[in-house]
Amino acid sequence: MENLFINIARTLSDWLLQLGLSHFWTDLVLLVVQWTAIILIITLNVIILVWLERKISGFIQQRLGPNRLGPFGCFQTIADTLKLLTKEDIIPSQTDKLIFKTAPMFFIIVSVLLYAVIPMGKDMVVVDLNVGLFYFISVGSLTTIAILMAGWSSNNKWSLLGAMRSVAQMISYEIPLAFSLLGVVMIAGSLNLSAIVAAQSNIWFIVLQPVAFVTYFIAATAELNRGPFDMPEAEQELTAGAYTEYTGMRWALFFLAEYTNLVAVSALAATLFFGGWQGPLLPSWMWIIIKTYLIMLVFMWMKWTFPRIRMDHLMSLSWKVLVPVSLINILVTGVGIEIFKGMGW
Amino acid sequence: MIMNMDSLVFLIISAFTIASALGVVLSRNIIHSALALILTFLGVAMNFFDLGASFLGLVQILVYAGAISVLIIFAIMLVMKPDSAATNPPTPSRDTHFIGGLLAWLVMIGVGMAIGLTRWPAMASEPAEADAVGTLATLLLGNYVVAFEAAAILLLLAAVGAIILAKGDENP
Amino acid sequence: MMYYQLLGPEITVAVLGLLVLAGSLLLPSHGKNALGYLTTIGLAAVLLAVILNFSREAIFFAGVYQIDMYANFFRLLFLSAALLIMLMSSRYTGLFGERKSEWFSFMLFATLGMMIMVAAGDLIMVYVGLELMTISFYILTAYLLNDRWSAEAGLKYLLIGAMSSAVLLFGMSLIYACSGSTVFTEIYQALLAGSERPALLAGIVMMMAGLGFKISVVPFHMWTPDIYQGAPTPVTAYLAVASKAAGFAVLVRILLIAFPPTSLDWKLILAVLAALTIIIGNLTALPQTNVKRMLAYSSIAQAGYILVGLVAANTYGLKGVLFYAMTYVFANVAAFAVTAVVEVAEGNAELESFNGLGRRAPMPAAVMTICLLSLAGIPPMAGFAGKLYLFSGAIQGGYLWLAFIGLLMSMISVYYYLHVAKAMYIGISSREDRVLLPVPVRIALWICLLGTILMGVYPGPLSELTELAVQLFSAV
Repeated sequence: MENLFINIARTLSDWLLQLGLSHFWTDLVLLVVQWTAIILIITLNVIILVWLERKISGFIQQRLGPNRLGPFGCFQTIADTLKLLTKEDIIPSQTDKLIFKTAPMFFIIVSVLLYAVIPMGKDMVVVDLNVGLFYFISVGSLTTIAILMAGWSSNNKWSLLGAMRSVAQMISYEIPLAFSLLGVVMIAGSLNLSAIVAAQSNIWFIVLQPVAFVTYFIAATAELNRGPFDMPEAEQELTAGAYTEYTGMRWALFFLAEYTNLVAVSALAATLFFGGWQGPLLPSWMWIIIKTYLIMLVFMWMKWTFPRIRMDHLMSLSWKVLVPVSLINILVTGVGIEIFKGMGW
Repeated sequence: MIMNMDSLVFLIISAFTIASALGVVLSRNIIHSALALILTFLGVAMNFFDLGASFLGLVQILVYAGAISVLIIFAIMLVMKPDSAATNPPTPSRDTHFIGGLLAWLVMIGVGMAIGLTRWPAMASEPAEADAVGTLATLLLGNYVVAFEAAAILLLLAAVGAIILAKGDENP
Repeated sequence: MMYYQLLGPEITVAVLGLLVLAGSLLLPSHGKNALGYLTTIGLAAVLLAVILNFSREAIFFAGVYQIDMYANFFRLLFLSAALLIMLMSSRYTGLFGERKSEWFSFMLFATLGMMIMVAAGDLIMVYVGLELMTISFYILTAYLLNDRWSAEAGLKYLLIGAMSSAVLLFGMSLIYACSGSTVFTEIYQALLAGSERPALLAGIVMMMAGLGFKISVVPFHMWTPDIYQGAPTPVTAYLAVASKAAGFAVLVRILLIAFPPTSLDWKLILAVLAALTIIIGNLTALPQTNVKRMLAYSSIAQAGYILVGLVAANTYGLKGVLFYAMTYVFANVAAFAVTAVVEVAEGNAELESFNGLGRRAPMPAAVMTICLLSLAGIPPMAGFAGKLYLFSGAIQGGYLWLAFIGLLMSMISVYYYLHVAKAMYIGISSREDRVLLPVPVRIALWICLLGTILMGVYPGPLSELTELAVQLFSAV
C-alpha cells in the first residue's frame, strides 16, 4: 500500500522503456500522466468539496443542505456540474473578448501549477524543486492577475470593483503570508518542501511556530478570498464580484480554480506545520489527504461562522497587525535558533 | 553553430519574450500593453529557469509579474480614459518616429555587432551551483551588505516619496 | 581586521535620516523645526568626524567598499555642501508646508547615496549608491507640489534618469560579461590578459554615457536646464554641486582603476566631449534671462572644465578635478543661495528680479558678484586657481587645444556672469525696501564668500589635501 503509486509509475516507465522509447520521452510521458492524474483528482475532489461545504454550511446554519439526490444529497453536485457543462456560454457584447476568454484559463492553469511542488506522499512529488516553497508563493501570486483580467474585461462596475478589492487584498496579504512561512524556513534551513517535511520527523512545526501558523492561516484565508474575507465577491453588494458576467463552463472554471487553490493552500499548511505525509500505520499519501481535509474543514468552519469584515478593517488587519506580528515572529525565531545553537542542540 | 536542444529552448523563450515586449509597445489599448508586459516578465523568468537560476526566475515572477505589474494596472485603471481602445496612442509626429527608430536601430546594430564580434573569455570561475540560495544570501549579507542596506533605505524612501507626491498639497 | 568605525559616517547619516523620517511622523507640526536643527547638527558632527579621520584608509569586503583619502575628500565635499544647503534653505523650506520635515530626510539620504558612490570599489555598489541618490533627487525635484514647473521637472528627471540608469546598467553588464567580475581591481586584472574585445568597448561607452547624463556632459545635457529651473532652488544647488561631483568621482575612479588609459585609450573621446560641453554650455548660457536657467547652462560648462582634468589624467589634472569641484561647491551654493533669497522675495528668478539688489541687499549682491567671478575664473578668486590646475594639467598631457578652448570660453563666460552683476548694481527696481536675510542664510553666504576668496588667495592647504587624495592613482 505504501508504495502503491510509486510502483505504478515504475511499472509504467519500465514498460515504456521496453517499448524502445528513450529516457527523455519516457520522462515526458510520465510527466503527462502525472499531470493528468493531478488534474483528474482535483476535478473530482471539487465535487466532493462542494457537497461537503454545502452540508457543513447547512449544519452550521441549522438546516439540512442538499438532501434530494442520492443518500445525503451526495449526487447534487454531480447534477450541478452537468448543468454547468451544458449551459449556454454567454459572452456579453461590450467585453474585451480576448482577455475575457483567457482569464479563466489563466486562473486554472496557475492553480494547477501550484501542485508541482507539494509532496503528496513519501517520494511523491512531481518536481522536487530546491526552492519549492518560494515557487509556491510566487506562482500563487499570479492568481491576482487572472482576477484582474476577469474584472477588467467584463466591462461591468461590479466586476471591476470586485477585482480591485480582491487584488488590493491579495497583494496586502501576500506579505504576511510569505513572512509567516519564513519562520518555518529558518528552522528547517531549506526552501525544499521535502526537506521541510523531513525536518519535522521529531516535532511538528505547529509546536515550534504557532504564531506563524495563525498568521499563515489568516493570510491564506484572505488570499483565497474566502469568508470572512470575501469582500471581493460580497454577494449583497457586488453580485458575484469579478465573476459577475461569467456563465456556464467559464464560470465553473473559476469555481474550480478557487477550490483548487483551497486544496493547495491546505496541503501546504499540512506540509509545513503538520508534518506533511508523515504519520503512523496508514500509507503516507493517505496521511496528507487526511490532514488536508481536516484543515479544509477548519477553513469552511471559519467561513460559515464569522461575519464578513469591512474592507478598511481588512487592510488595516494586514498592515497593522499581521505584518508586524510576522516580522516579530521572524526576529524571535532567529534569536531562538541562535540560543538553541548556543546550548549545543 | 550547432542547433541543439538547449539553444532551441532558448530561442523559443526569447522569441516569446520579444514578441510580448513588442506587444507592450505596439498595442493601442494600454491594458493590453500592461498584460503583455506581464508576459514579458514571465518570458524573462523562463530565461532565468533555462539558465538554471530558478531562484532569480521566481523572484522575477513574484516581484515583477505578480506585484509590480498589478500595481501598474491599478495605476492605469485609476487614471484611464473611458475609451480603452485609444488609451495608448502613438506619437503624432512622423519625424520623431523616424529619427527615434533610426537611432534605436543604430544602437542595436552597434551593440549587437560589438557583442557578436567579441571572442568571449572562458568563465574565470566555476559557475555557481544550481539554486544557490545560500550563496546568494552569503553574498548579500557579506560582501555586499552595504549595498543591501542601502537598497533597503532606497525602498523606504521611494515609498515615502511616492506617498508624499501622490497625496498632494494639503492646502493648495 | 576591518575598521568598521570608518563606516561610521555612512551609518550615522543613514540613522539620522531614519530618525528624521520617524520624527516627522511622530512630532506635532510646531516641533518639526527641531528636525532641521537636528539634521544640521548631525551633518556638522559627521563632517567633523570625517575631517578627523581623513588619513585613515581601509578596504572593506574584498575591495567592494573602499574608504580612502579620495573617498574622504568627496565625503568632505558632500557633507559641507549639504550643510551649506541646510543653512541656505532655512527660509525656503517654508514653501514646503507640512512636508518640510521629510525634505530633510530626503536630503540626508541623497547625501548617503553619494557617500556610498564615491567609496564604492564595485559596479553593483556604484549602481546602488547612484540609485539612492537619484531617487532622492526625483522626489526632491518635484517637491514644490503647487508649482507646475517643479512637477514637470520631476517627471522629466524621472524619465531621463531611468533611461540613463538603464544604459548604465547595460554597459555594466557588458563589462561584467567581458571580465567576469564587478570589482574594479579585478576587472583590471582580468582585462590585462584579455585580447581585443568590442563588447568591452561598447560597455565602457554605455557606462560613460550613463554617467555622462548625471554630470550633464554634451550630448547628454538636454535635461539640465529644465530640471534646474523647475526644481526648488536648494535642490537645484545640491543637484548642481554634489550630484555632479559624485558622478565625476565615480567616473574618475572607474576609468582610472578599472580601465587605465595605458590599457585602453579613452582620452580622445573624452577630450572631444569636454570641448563640446564647454563650447555648447557657454554659448547657450549667453542669451538666458532666467538666472536659474543661466546657472544651469553654466553648470554644463563647468562640467566641461572638470572633464578637462580627467582627460589630462595626470597629477595636475586630477588635482584640478578635485580642487575645482570643491571651489565650485562654495561659489555655486552662494549663487543659488542669493537666487533663493530673491526667489522668496520676488516670487521668481528672472533677471529683472535682480534689478537693484545692490541697494536693497548689499551683502548678498556682493557675494553673488564675487562667486560668479570665481565661476568665470577671474583671479584672485578660487575658481582661477582651480582652472589653473585643470588647464596646466591639460597642457602637460598634450591637450593644448583643449586648454585653449577652455580659456577662450572662460573669457566669454565673464559676459553672462557679469550680466547678473550689471542687473544688481545698475538695474533699476521699482521697489526700494530691504530684502530680508535670515541669520542661517547670512552664515552660509559668509562661509561661501570666505571659502571662495581664501581658496583663491591661499590655495596651499586644499592643494595638499587634493594631492593626498589623488595619490590613489599615482600608479597610473
